[in-house]
Amino acid sequence: MIEISGLRVVFGQTIALHSVDLTIRAGVAGLFGPNGAGKSTLLRVVAGLLRPSSGHVSVGGIPVTSADETLRRRIGYSGHDSGLYQRLSVRENLELFAGLYGATSTRVDTVMQQLGIGDRAGMPVGRLSAGLKRRASVARALLHEPDVLLLDEPYANLDDEAAAMMSDAVKAWRAPGRVALIATHGAKRVKSFADAGIIVQRGRVVSYRVRMPEGEVATSS
Amino acid sequence: MNEAGWLHKSALLVRKDLRVEARGRDTLPPMLAFAFAVTLLLAFTLPGSTRLAAPVSVPGGTVAVVDVVSGFLWITVLFAGLIGFARTFEVEREEGAIDSLLLVPLDRSGLFAAKAVANLAYIAAVQGVLLPTFALFFALDLGASWFVLVLVTILVDLGFVAVGTLFASLAAQTRSRELILPILALPALVPVFIAAVELTSDLFVGGGLDAVATRGWFGVLIAFDVVFMTIGALAFEFAID
Repeated sequence: MIEISGLRVVFGQTIALHSVDLTIRAGVAGLFGPNGAGKSTLLRVVAGLLRPSSGHVSVGGIPVTSADETLRRRIGYSGHDSGLYQRLSVRENLELFAGLYGATSTRVDTVMQQLGIGDRAGMPVGRLSAGLKRRASVARALLHEPDVLLLDEPYANLDDEAAAMMSDAVKAWRAPGRVALIATHGAKRVKSFADAGIIVQRGRVVSYRVRMPEGEVATSS
Repeated sequence: MNEAGWLHKSALLVRKDLRVEARGRDTLPPMLAFAFAVTLLLAFTLPGSTRLAAPVSVPGGTVAVVDVVSGFLWITVLFAGLIGFARTFEVEREEGAIDSLLLVPLDRSGLFAAKAVANLAYIAAVQGVLLPTFALFFALDLGASWFVLVLVTILVDLGFVAVGTLFASLAAQTRSRELILPILALPALVPVFIAAVELTSDLFVGGGLDAVATRGWFGVLIAFDVVFMTIGALAFEFAID
């Protein structure tokens, strides 16, 4: 569970997030909104990569600070950039992070297969197309089977087939107690399997709807 | 999951840095090119065939050639090192790899150690070329004292990479990091390089371990190494975050 209270992020004169209060329970939550709404900032704060100006964020009851090793082990994050080493091959990158997270080589093969990048395993990441980099980046985020998955625009530059693989990989990762926050413009793709949808505009959460068996319920607006 | 320990994870990161460098050759060649160019320039400028203890006229008096040679040796090492250290986090800046690195479940001291060891490998490689070249151009005969020079070099390098890596992490967050790093690091590095010059001068005029050990500079180097390796490991978290 991700709990956010009174979260405010200011960059100089710009307020990126205005006092956000949000509780995201287990499941997949889509984070929607136009460019500059604050989606990426929110993900970076939850990942512990950005210190908020004020407010509190906790994951599974543990306050988010980048220094907390226990928490970092539980987070899988794929940002705007691939977060991979350009001169290493896809496999070398994934083997490196597998070693750092204690994941097995078998797991490396599994995520590459899930995201359809197995045939590019030996290619340096720097030579991959934008779509393939995105898939490799999400493979890295999924590698250690995190409890909290934070994906920033995972469908960017993907064709329909690759986008379907991306959705399937997230669905395969999904398990009780796990929570994913997926920021995307492609609302349709995430809506098809998400448990909740959050709309952010100008740094404020304007809508938070949870899918229930009897239909959508607005929990916050 | 069978998670590896601090040492194993740090070793993985060192291997990654060396592998990336082996493919990109972005760091070591500029360091070597600088060191070689300076050595060549000095070889044409200094009286290489003169006895090392012979005085050379300088404004305001005379100075022994050996002091000039050992001074230039360590100045070359210092600036070659700073050229390389400024690139410590370049590989992480590409494609946001720094985010992935910061999220790895490894204490920040492990990241510091990995980066410092990679920098140590680069500076050792430069010295591996520079020291024989200096010996050749300036007719240095260390005799049986070469192992003392290696010991001095190791002690200097430990302090140098500790300071260089720590300040490189601060400078990496600025746009003009190549300019910021020397400004931050040079004042802190003065003691270690004074000790290096003093010890090496003694060695170049035939002093062995007994001669250099009595001068107290070894103590300065060891204290500097311990202090800055500890500060680096503890402060890296605040510098990199």
